[in-house]
Amino acid sequence: MRTRRAVAGIGVALLLAAAPVMAHHAFSAEFDINKPFKLRGTLTKWEMINPHSWFHLDVKDESGTVVPWMIEGGSPNQLIKNGVTKNTLAIGTELVIEGYQAKDGANKGVGRNLLLADGRRLFLGSTESEK
Amino acid sequence: MMNNRFFLLVSGLVVAAAVAWGSAIPAAGQARSKPYTAPRTPDGQPDLQGFWTNATYTPLERPKGVTREFYTREEVLEIMKRQATEEAEQTQPGTIPDVHYDFTQFGLDRSQGAMALNLRTSLIVDPPDGRLPALSSDGRRRADERAAARKSRGGPHDAVQNEPLGSRCVLMDRNGPPMLGGAYNNTYQIVQAAGYVMVLVEMLHDARIIPLDGRPQLPPNVRQWTGSSRGRWDGQTLVIETTNLTDKFAFQGASENMRLTERFTRLDQETLRYQFTVDDPSTWTRPWTAEVPWKKDKGPIFEHACHEGNYGLYNTLAGARAEEKRAAEEAAKKKPQK
Amino acid sequence: MRNRLGTALATSLTLTVVAVTMAAGQNRSYRAPRAADGKPSFNGIWQAVNEAYWDVEAHAAAPGPVLELGAAHATAGGLSIIDGGTIPYKPEALKKKQENYANRLKLDPEIKCYLPGVPRANYMPYPFQIIQGPKYIMMAYTFAGAVRTIYMDEHKEAPADSWMGWSNGHWEGDTLVVDTTGFNDQTWFDRAGNFHSDALHVVERFTATGPDHLSYEATIEDPNVFTRAWTISMPLYRRLEKNAQLMEFRCVEFVEELIYGHLRKKPSQ
Repeated sequence: MRTRRAVAGIGVALLLAAAPVMAHHAFSAEFDINKPFKLRGTLTKWEMINPHSWFHLDVKDESGTVVPWMIEGGSPNQLIKNGVTKNTLAIGTELVIEGYQAKDGANKGVGRNLLLADGRRLFLGSTESEK
Repeated sequence: MMNNRFFLLVSGLVVAAAVAWGSAIPAAGQARSKPYTAPRTPDGQPDLQGFWTNATYTPLERPKGVTREFYTREEVLEIMKRQATEEAEQTQPGTIPDVHYDFTQFGLDRSQGAMALNLRTSLIVDPPDGRLPALSSDGRRRADERAAARKSRGGPHDAVQNEPLGSRCVLMDRNGPPMLGGAYNNTYQIVQAAGYVMVLVEMLHDARIIPLDGRPQLPPNVRQWTGSSRGRWDGQTLVIETTNLTDKFAFQGASENMRLTERFTRLDQETLRYQFTVDDPSTWTRPWTAEVPWKKDKGPIFEHACHEGNYGLYNTLAGARAEEKRAAEEAAKKKPQK
Repeated sequence: MRNRLGTALATSLTLTVVAVTMAAGQNRSYRAPRAADGKPSFNGIWQAVNEAYWDVEAHAAAPGPVLELGAAHATAGGLSIIDGGTIPYKPEALKKKQENYANRLKLDPEIKCYLPGVPRANYMPYPFQIIQGPKYIMMAYTFAGAVRTIYMDEHKEAPADSWMGWSNGHWEGDTLVVDTTGFNDQTWFDRAGNFHSDALHVVERFTATGPDHLSYEATIEDPNVFTRAWTISMPLYRRLEKNAQLMEFRCVEFVEELIYGHLRKKPSQ
């Protein structure tokens, strides 16, 4: 049908020309694609800063030593517009974070997926974790 | 423990987006039953105040293969639905796009917030083909010079000055001028007082303060990142003239001689039309004009302390140096022993 | 005859009283022109003129921390802007202030072009602009392009901490009262290392005392750092030059080498 084909063609063209969906800096330069991690830790602080927030966690390593990590997340500004405050996510909340570690080897990473201990996704989006 | 009501936010935000897209703005040429007149501020200006977003999927230039100026409403809604799905799709582990936090998790997808419905196939409305005009010879020369300079200064992470202006928290597309939307943080706040209009850009907490008293521009030797702006009312339209720019931002390759005219007109309670004309004979063979609908958005604007919290820039530079060190150590190990 | 003389005396006495009051510089009964919504209008460009940006307490002139800047960046002496003269630090906090001062070249957030916080932004030596809308009063500062939104209509609690805090404002008669919380612990009050924690709470009062003068007071509370609340005050002066305006002060560019220069790639041998 002509209409359907026209729409499909436009859709493809528009997608190709859409504004690049990139953060204001190159995350793949900051974090190492070859160093994925899955951490479990307790929240010590959520630095709610714009444009990138940072989750600070105490993570127990294999020997049981507590190691502080900081994980980069998104801006809190849309969440704030919808009622999230610094009291929403309690200190001590257990989080499971899948992400990639910093290239300089520090205990820092970017969180591609943030989950609560029961497997529910933090804040918004699908409630399943990837893999 | 996280408050359970946040799972309700998922559906809430999706509904909000659908409602936003449902309210169409009139495409040019559509007859209006009654011309809209904006309410007045206490000192008599047409009221443009509030929180607004210029989030859009519409590209600046008309895509190749598209010759129409407008899509139909149904076509645009279909495109937006597809864009929303693409935006929200999970990235594949082990791929470059996966090395990022998930926008959707934080409500940062454009589809999760307000967005004006725009039937245009491009933001550029003039030239009529919806594409940037040809570069002048001076414009071509400067583009070549910029490319050569980029090559000669080394890698993008060799020094902070090599990083993009956005990564350095110096200037973003949202600031311009002209002010254009990006992937997220596309919020603005307009406040009007006697004799002034202030446009607060969320990105970099940029307060553009526009005097309306007809004063002259700054003298020509004074150049600023956001130039010198002067405003006046032309009926229902706020006209802002900007000069005194530098060549450091180089909007689409523009020179410091760019003369920018921006126009705000309130089309209805929920919509502003933002139009801008770029006049820069040093760069383009003719002026060009683009138009973006701005949609009423929710406040507040939370402080954008970009530079103060710029761990990312530090991490990027430190990461590059760490990788070089690793590579050098590995190369040294491979050296044959004498 | 006597009545006319009495009247003349009374008149000249009244005029003398009025003259003396006005000469004193602070006419508390001044009625500012109204904004269109009936509230006093503070629209305009204002600036503090004092040496508090060096040190809010009384202090003598002193050499600067950078030899090559010589007298150009030496501390100018100044009087205290504090009621009672000094900041009522807790003993441990006073030690931290002294450490801050000793290391101010490394630690002063102003040097790194960080947002100046409140009340410091109001007495930095640059103009700031008040844009008074009906629901929001905006304060736009020269330094680092800092901005404050004063919420006049809907008062909410600070959703999260920030450098410039979260400001709720209301009118008490002709005085604008601004109540600010939600600060992080990163800013200083001046270049001398006077500091606060994230429990900082500032209440400011702006009152017009003449067509070109505001009286500004700020009461500062922080139970983590001070033994009690303390108050600063100063006049704010309208910038009267024709076409006065704020200039851009995008200082991030000026400090990048300072902050990130050590991470530059070394040229290979």
